[in-house]
Amino acid sequence: MISRILRYVVLGALGILWLLPIYLLLANASKLTSEYSGSELWSPGNLPALLSNIGEVFSTTDVPSGLGVTFLYATIAPFIAVILGAGVGFAVIVLKVKRGFFWFFVIFCGTVFPLQIMVIPLFAAYSQVGLFDTFVGMTFVYAVVCTPFSAFVMRNFFAGIAETVFEAAVVDGASAWRIFTRIYLPMSRSALVVVFILQATWVWNDLLLALVLTQSAATRPVMPLLAALQSTEGGGSAYTVVLTAALIVSIPTALLFMFTQRVFQRGLSLGQY
Amino acid sequence: MSRRSSTNYQRAAWGFLAPGVAAVVLVLHLPVVYTVYLSFTDFNGLGDPDFVGLDNYVRMFRDPAVLTSIVNTLLWVVGTLVVPVGLGLVVAYLAFGLPGGAWLRVPFLVPYALSGVAVGVVFSFVLQNGGALSQALEWLHLPGSELRWLQDAPLNTFAMIIASAWQGVGVNALLFTVGLQSIPKEPLEAAKVDGAVGWRLFRHMIWPLLRPSTTIVVGLSIVNSLKTFDIVQSMTQGGPNRVSETLGVTMYRNTFLNSEYGLGAAVALFLTVITLAASIIYLRRQLAIGDPVKKAVRQ
Amino acid sequence: MRFSRSAATAAVLVLGAAALSGCSTGGSAADSGELVFITDKTWDFDSFSKESKKDIDIALKTSAYADQEAFQAFVKQSFRTNKSPGLFTWHTGGQLEELVAEDLVAPTTDIWTEAVENGDVAESVRDLYTVDGEQYCTPISVDDWVMYYDKRTFEEYGLTAPTTWDELMAVSDTLVDNGVTPFWNAGGNPWAFVWFQILAAGTDLDLYTGLTTGDVKFTDPEVVEVMNIWLDMKEKGYFTDPGSKVAAETQMKDQEVAMIPFGTWYASTLTTVGLESGTDWGVFPIPNVNPEQETTPVAIETAPACTAENSPQKEVGLEYAEWWMSSEAQTAWSEQEGNLPYNPNAEASTEEFQAIATEFADPSYEFYLRWYEAAPAPILTASLDQFTGFMTNPGDPTPYLEGIQQVADEYWAGN
Repeated sequence: MISRILRYVVLGALGILWLLPIYLLLANASKLTSEYSGSELWSPGNLPALLSNIGEVFSTTDVPSGLGVTFLYATIAPFIAVILGAGVGFAVIVLKVKRGFFWFFVIFCGTVFPLQIMVIPLFAAYSQVGLFDTFVGMTFVYAVVCTPFSAFVMRNFFAGIAETVFEAAVVDGASAWRIFTRIYLPMSRSALVVVFILQATWVWNDLLLALVLTQSAATRPVMPLLAALQSTEGGGSAYTVVLTAALIVSIPTALLFMFTQRVFQRGLSLGQY
Repeated sequence: MSRRSSTNYQRAAWGFLAPGVAAVVLVLHLPVVYTVYLSFTDFNGLGDPDFVGLDNYVRMFRDPAVLTSIVNTLLWVVGTLVVPVGLGLVVAYLAFGLPGGAWLRVPFLVPYALSGVAVGVVFSFVLQNGGALSQALEWLHLPGSELRWLQDAPLNTFAMIIASAWQGVGVNALLFTVGLQSIPKEPLEAAKVDGAVGWRLFRHMIWPLLRPSTTIVVGLSIVNSLKTFDIVQSMTQGGPNRVSETLGVTMYRNTFLNSEYGLGAAVALFLTVITLAASIIYLRRQLAIGDPVKKAVRQ
Repeated sequence: MRFSRSAATAAVLVLGAAALSGCSTGGSAADSGELVFITDKTWDFDSFSKESKKDIDIALKTSAYADQEAFQAFVKQSFRTNKSPGLFTWHTGGQLEELVAEDLVAPTTDIWTEAVENGDVAESVRDLYTVDGEQYCTPISVDDWVMYYDKRTFEEYGLTAPTTWDELMAVSDTLVDNGVTPFWNAGGNPWAFVWFQILAAGTDLDLYTGLTTGDVKFTDPEVVEVMNIWLDMKEKGYFTDPGSKVAAETQMKDQEVAMIPFGTWYASTLTTVGLESGTDWGVFPIPNVNPEQETTPVAIETAPACTAENSPQKEVGLEYAEWWMSSEAQTAWSEQEGNLPYNPNAEASTEEFQAIATEFADPSYEFYLRWYEAAPAPILTASLDQFTGFMTNPGDPTPYLEGIQQVADEYWAGN
């Protein structure tokens, strides 16, 4: 009992500490630029200013126009990545494909190379094959970039599932596909959800690929539009409006995390299979 | 038994493996081949690259700042293993199985959900000279309000590691939580009956069983910390005067600021070789142990 | 045949998702009568596009690239593809020369000849767009660097806009005595060069130019002297903390800093914090550090709009570029952005800028390209690093200058 209270206290205190910077964001997004001051960052803002800033974001910036397409990228691409990654994990761990570690490592290597240096050849290749500035091209590249992480998590998750599960299914005469979709995927629900939400968030927040591989309003996701509000040489939006926009576009991902938390609430006993 | 039944599925296995491998090789490996080629050339992004042999590699190591960059990158690797990974485990373990524990994890996840622009603003609010951190320390009459968090080395690297921990702890906690969930209940119950509690229970039962998750978190942490770029670029641009530069920033600087694509490619490859070496060393050991086949064979 | 069925299902799944997503694929812009315009600037090109639509029936289809470095890499790469832009923003100086050397930008010599004849643009501006006798690109804007000052603060302490360096220093002393920081400065890319530029060009414009061409070494005693002036000013508390990330305009709004050196594009930024031209802020020409210098140097920067030689939209791009220099377009641009139009036939939108335009028309002013465009890229990068180091840990300037010179030696040896 005491240990339980202690756990609540420690987590609660750490959690509050973690939320302080979020408070700073909110407080300063709730100020007009004329009210914002660098020496009074902790002072709270006011609701009318926040509403006014939100109004500005929707009336004067392009940011809201990118939300729709970003939503599609951030749901379709991670979904594909989850399936591809789970397939790899399944082949390597459960079906024990020959040289499994090698093939897994080939995929893992996809995370090793810095993305900044890859965008230039990617752009060249994309404009050659006509995928530049297309929805399919963006979805594809996001899905592939997310695949190594997905494969890594799913591989290790499957490794934790007892081999008897697979053997029992084989005795029942199930096909590999059936074992995958009916047994392994349902058993790994929480791992699948983790991969999905983490990668959806990554896609949602990506700036670099979006910047280089899209151009028209129909394909351009929200982050380049948001970043373009910040000015170095005149123009751009007022500082606190940019801040408000930066917070507004983070609401969907924050909600995604909140509402998927219950998936991780109860433990999943593998013994039941 | 298990080996035989699996070999019967070799062809099916390829059906599951091939799409992922093909996509990754096509999109993520081919650009590397091109970069290898670029690293042996002199190229400003226009016209045609000129072959210069190993010049770029020689120039890279002659740059006095590269040594700082390597040291800082290693600091990031160690720092990231200690702070976000360690703290992620603590959060996951404390919240696991606690009624309402899921909600207690949320504050740690919100930073990861934030857009890059918001994160950049937070860090500059907090860490700039006379910023929120200094203002708070002063208000609380604590020492440190005079510190120049982002301007003095190595303090700036440590400050940025903490800042990246702020963003990364939640993700690690989530991955550890999945690991905790997949631990079979029976052995734990048995151990508890045997009187194992607290640290002993964790050390001898839970920690070994968490290995699949630990491998993911540590593996990704090594790779990502070696590639550290975003935070440093947005906070200090590797400065002042290159003291907080990481290899990711060095690469970016050469390629994009100076249009020396060949030199940038050389740094990128150097970084890649280090990352690959670290990953192979770590993963071979971890994954081999975690692999049920090998385990069966050894036994 | 377990394998083939499972593989087929997987393939269908992936293709299905792709087809689903294909529905909302964006069409290409080229055929819709819109000019594809890509830019690293955050100016409001959408409302400007409405003007051009009215005037010459061409609308801009603008894509803004927030990250300047990624933008430049993207543009360079696009020349190899069929995606090379009909109009894009770039930088003058070495960056333009680089493109011209590879024949990548369409020449605009005819447009310039006509514009100069019409008196739409000054000769001195044409020089910035000239490479080997031919002109390339046209200016969106030409911004002169001035000193913005807080009229409220100046009034409070009974100060007036200084006309000489000594007066400027006297004003600064008064401000320091009253707890107001005289000058804004910042480290890093891009702004670490600002004060070096002001002090070097203000001391000896030939010295400044020599540094950008390799004729003068950063370690020369004259350059050390410039750095020592900077150091002296810093020690007197003339500058804001380079480690602060609070924007200059916010610091001026809070009356923490009194003067900010920037280009005329900065007017629109001051408006965003609620500071009004004429009542809250004014501008004055930055005086010569060395009064012996015959002319007073004024830094300029100019944002070119260029057309790719191999762009499918080359013709329409050039047409737009020509229009951009006209007095109609320049008046509209100045009204919208609040800056100084380079076309003398167009009028600045504020009295403050009308006055400075008249002032700068005097032949005692000499215009020079600002450091950011004038210095070759590797030297620029090194100088920004070293200047930032110097600002952060002020002291003997020699090691910082040696650091830049080392890079410069390497650069000039290879070019």
